[in-house]
Amino acid sequence: MTPIVETHDLTRRYGTNLALDHLNLAIPEGAIFGFIGPNGAGKTTTMRILTTLLPPTSGEARVAGVSVTREPRVVRRLVGFMPDFFGVYDNMKSWEYLDFFGRSYGIPAQRRQQLIGELLELVDLAHKRDEPVMSLSRGMKQRLSLARAMMHDPRLLILDEPASGLDPRARIELRELLKELRAMGKTIMISSHILTELAEMCTHIGIIERGKLLAAGEVQEILRTMRPHRIVEIRVVAGAARAEELLRTHPDVLELRREGARAGTEVEEPPLDDETGPHTLLADFAGDEHALGDLLALLIAEGVRISHFAEQFGDLEDIFLHVTKGIV
Amino acid sequence: MLELNPILVKDLRSRMRGARAYILLTIYLLILAGVTLLLYAAISRDIGSDLNAGRRIGQALFFTIATVALIEVCLITPVLTSGSIAGEKERQTYDLLVASLLTPWQIVWGKLVSALAFALLLITAIVPVMSLAFLFGGVGLAEVLIAIVGLIVTAILYATIGLFWSALLNSSLGATSFAIGTIIALLLGIPFLIVIVSLILGSSVPSDLLDSVWFIYLSRFVAALHPFIALGATASQLAGGGDTFFEVVRTGSTNVVVPSPWVLYTVLSLIFSTLLLAASVRLVQPVQPGADRKKRVRKAVEAG
Repeated sequence: MTPIVETHDLTRRYGTNLALDHLNLAIPEGAIFGFIGPNGAGKTTTMRILTTLLPPTSGEARVAGVSVTREPRVVRRLVGFMPDFFGVYDNMKSWEYLDFFGRSYGIPAQRRQQLIGELLELVDLAHKRDEPVMSLSRGMKQRLSLARAMMHDPRLLILDEPASGLDPRARIELRELLKELRAMGKTIMISSHILTELAEMCTHIGIIERGKLLAAGEVQEILRTMRPHRIVEIRVVAGAARAEELLRTHPDVLELRREGARAGTEVEEPPLDDETGPHTLLADFAGDEHALGDLLALLIAEGVRISHFAEQFGDLEDIFLHVTKGIV
Repeated sequence: MLELNPILVKDLRSRMRGARAYILLTIYLLILAGVTLLLYAAISRDIGSDLNAGRRIGQALFFTIATVALIEVCLITPVLTSGSIAGEKERQTYDLLVASLLTPWQIVWGKLVSALAFALLLITAIVPVMSLAFLFGGVGLAEVLIAIVGLIVTAILYATIGLFWSALLNSSLGATSFAIGTIIALLLGIPFLIVIVSLILGSSVPSDLLDSVWFIYLSRFVAALHPFIALGATASQLAGGGDTFFEVVRTGSTNVVVPSPWVLYTVLSLIFSTLLLAASVRLVQPVQPGADRKKRVRKAVEAG
């Protein structure tokens, strides 16, 4: 996939404070890119540069190959921005809010009216068309804000903490909406503190701390590569005792435990009985893909009957804590 | 089809929706009508059966209404604009505007015109009250037109002062305070300056200096920065049978022709308004196209 967002040595200073330190980032077109980092890490600064609200001190940022500093108006056509707060206007109805921003993007009157209806339908607010914006719930306001960001049909949506302050239902609705937008071919760059949610909906993530990009790539790749070891889950239908014995003595298995046992607890006697099975074993495996394949072949060759053999992916929170130092 | 400025449509829609605008207009007209009524009662009792009574009442009513309207315009227009851009920052909608395809000029122009549209509504609303003076006589069409031009130009200048502070500061309260402070400084500072300079120069400066062309122009220039002085001087000039557009200043050796105070005031106000408008546009500008080019040029120059 070709990158829709590219930054090269992007740096931003606020006085003596270095907010972004030579950030090199690439977001492929069509991705949902989760931007993770502690408060003050540089997420919002990056987003504000990409939306042309803030000039970089040095370095370059491009959206769809267009420089944010040389052609900001072209970039604004390509980007839809949803900040981490919802700016409200007094005495404005939902449709008027969208109409105003439609005018601001130069959308012709006839197309605008049609678009307002379609977008309100998309964000499930068609029934609130004539309601004052102020009277909407926070979740509804966020959805309306998303509709606003979509008014000019941007290729890239930049969403800064869209789920903050939302109740669980509103979060789920927002997540579903983002999936729908991705299906429409939009690239979405999203920052959030709710890592489990990002892991569920994002295809790619970037972890930033103190203005430096610590890791970036596909979620599964990050989850696999950033973990110190991999956990292999093995469900044994027959030959559980033999499997335990083989795994315990295998040079790449650092730790073995039965499902339900706490991490750090080695398998204890008595040996597993197939009568009480099937049993699930969790092996902390230090080998690579080939070694993992060899392990499976060994178990089968030794007559162990396996119904499930899969790598268990750690969650994003583990990776985040492992990669970041908690320094802002 | 050419569409109206989005900011203008939004602001007018918001401003004219609800009772606030109508309450302000009503209070404004009630003050004006109340002052007119009290003045009429006071003058008509003093004048008695003078043959020129109607003419004197007409003039007094006209100048009082024009003065009260000018005071109200001086106070209301900066307040209308000082909250405009700063209000967007407070409501956290400013970034959304700047990140849209609206140009800084469209944002600033929309804010100014929406505030001026309301100020013009206030000015238009006083015309029927002002026209009461015609019933009594003593006021010419030129005087009425100059008064209306003066009110409009003052509204534009004071609106741009409010707009400038609004673009510069992040809070409406701060912007309004600075706008009102600037206007108070202008309205009180200029007469104070004139009095002080007159006291200093009055006795000790030779008449050659006072009669010099540059001094005459400088003194007219300073006086033309103040709406009340400029428009008041024009009224005196017209009452004395002077020209509408020019004033002839008689000195010892020669006569110096200078533009009438209201002409100078109009020209200067429009110049300052343009400068303030340009400064506001500059302040609203986010990432400027070619900014990095300038930076590269500067680096190249520094590198030799």
